[in-house]
Amino acid sequence: MSATKASRIGEETRIDKVNAELVTLTYGTIVAQLCQDYDSDYQEVNKQLEKMGYNIGMRLIEDFLAKSGVGRCANFRETADMIAKVGFKIFLNVAPTVTNWTSDNNQFSLIFDENPLADFVELPDDGRAQDELWFSNILCGVLRGSLEMVQMQIEAHFVSDVLRGDDTTEMRVSLIRYIEDEMPPEED
Amino acid sequence: MRIINKAGGLIYQREFQPGLRKLSTNDYLVLAGTFHGVHAITRTITPKLPLAPPSTSPAVSSPGNTAPATSGYSYPNPGVPTSGLEFLETDKFRLTCFQTLTGTKFLLFTDPLTGSVDTIMNKIYELYADYVMKNPFYQLEMPVRCEAFDRHLGAWLRGRT
Amino acid sequence: MAAPPRHVSMLSISNSNAGTPQSASSDKPQTPQPPSTPQQASGLRVPSNRKTIYDRHLNRSRNAELSRASFAYLFAEMVTYAQRRVTGIQDLEKRLNEQGYPLGLRLLDLLFYRSTSTSSSALSSSSTSSSPPNRPLRILPLLHLIHGPLWRLLFQRSADALEHSVSPDTPNEYMITDNDPLVNTYISVPREMNMLNCAAYIAGVIEGVCDGCGFEAKVSAHNQPTEMWPSRTVFLLRFGDSVMEREKVLERSGIK
Repeated sequence: MSATKASRIGEETRIDKVNAELVTLTYGTIVAQLCQDYDSDYQEVNKQLEKMGYNIGMRLIEDFLAKSGVGRCANFRETADMIAKVGFKIFLNVAPTVTNWTSDNNQFSLIFDENPLADFVELPDDGRAQDELWFSNILCGVLRGSLEMVQMQIEAHFVSDVLRGDDTTEMRVSLIRYIEDEMPPEED
Repeated sequence: MRIINKAGGLIYQREFQPGLRKLSTNDYLVLAGTFHGVHAITRTITPKLPLAPPSTSPAVSSPGNTAPATSGYSYPNPGVPTSGLEFLETDKFRLTCFQTLTGTKFLLFTDPLTGSVDTIMNKIYELYADYVMKNPFYQLEMPVRCEAFDRHLGAWLRGRT
Repeated sequence: MAAPPRHVSMLSISNSNAGTPQSASSDKPQTPQPPSTPQQASGLRVPSNRKTIYDRHLNRSRNAELSRASFAYLFAEMVTYAQRRVTGIQDLEKRLNEQGYPLGLRLLDLLFYRSTSTSSSALSSSSTSSSPPNRPLRILPLLHLIHGPLWRLLFQRSADALEHSVSPDTPNEYMITDNDPLVNTYISVPREMNMLNCAAYIAGVIEGVCDGCGFEAKVSAHNQPTEMWPSRTVFLLRFGDSVMEREKVLERSGIK
């Protein structure tokens, strides 16, 4: 499927809305709670956020498939377009740029121009958060969880974030392998 | 209506018509497991193009698209995976199976004359995505006990008839 | 006045303008907000393209919308996470309440800021107040602020009912009803936990708003289903003694 067709699906899929600030603030309070529970051990917070995202991804994929009506992707490049132009468009109303492909077509970057989760956010000025915390790390987990449900094992991490003082927010996504379908049960 | 999880376990069942014959719980589980197995087999035996398509049981109609990555054969529609059994029909009822890309199966037993089963399936899938998957108290792959799902599904089907 | 002790324990990750409580008194409508000189001449790095909270207008997201599903997933994950760390339903509700509390404080500032910086009627259209709401001094204006503007900001509609306790024993109790709380849309609570109402999160938001206004209160969410509204929820607000005493004093001096 072409990238333009993906954008069209992203634009046209009907979705129920809520106030964006409610979402942003709710995410903020989740991160703040984690920072509190893990005593500002930001590595651990990153890990927990990724885990939460993974749980969300495994559920969110059904919504994505049910509402967008898209079928299976033919290759990973198509998957990338689908994530950026349909997935992010539906769930966060942004369409990150897909770029920096490796030559084997197994790795790409998503560059976020806008990130509603991080709207109005400033990291704690404790000399560590800007070096250690990936505020939007939940998104990496969401990608991992949702793609695993459609038989792709991937790894995703942020490499830069405007909240850290970087000029861009960039996530790196790598395909590890396609998960083979389980064999049919032999009994009966 | 039935929902079968990825491992072939029955996680939801509900009758929308009064007077349907009830089976024992065990029979329902067997039905789900058997169907799951048969479904998987129909998928693996999906014919590949260069071979003459072997005729399957007349009651089983599986669409001809295949994409077995392991074979050297070519196929009409590469990239479209094999789907397995999609419907079974008898004189009196029709069983439609819709498998999501994530492996969950929705089974619908209807009158053979019921139209637009696809629309019904899509709506059921949407309601499932909403009221089951977004419920924090639902554990993945476990039996579905979500009051809001029952309620909305019932209300939507009532609205159609 | 009871100093809300929870203010200080809050983390400094600042969504919105929580760091600048004085913004409520801003009398310069439509000027770029918040303060151009952050009060902590901060050690934080900023991107060279100036995409910081100080460079972007606070009303930018005012009418912005996001997928309801995204909210549902985040909220569900919050509930799941909280559930792993608590022992009972009360404990769970307390935790959800605590997670909502900081939102209340922040939204309060946002409400004031927007009500002073706009001449349009979005906030002042409340049938009860002809002028834009200022910081409420009495209980009733505070309740109207919650029932109207706060609810509209969060859910695009007012709450469904506002009542005062009829019992003479509990004059400090007020009830705000939502027939179909957004947060519970997709949630089915298992039968063995039927006392639980996840809208405790919103109760926390309300508590934050009350505290932020200087009204010490305890707020809880209760299931009151009807045939037509199966997830109807009543938010019970119990104001503290100090608030009730102050009410009497203010009443005598004729302040509304």
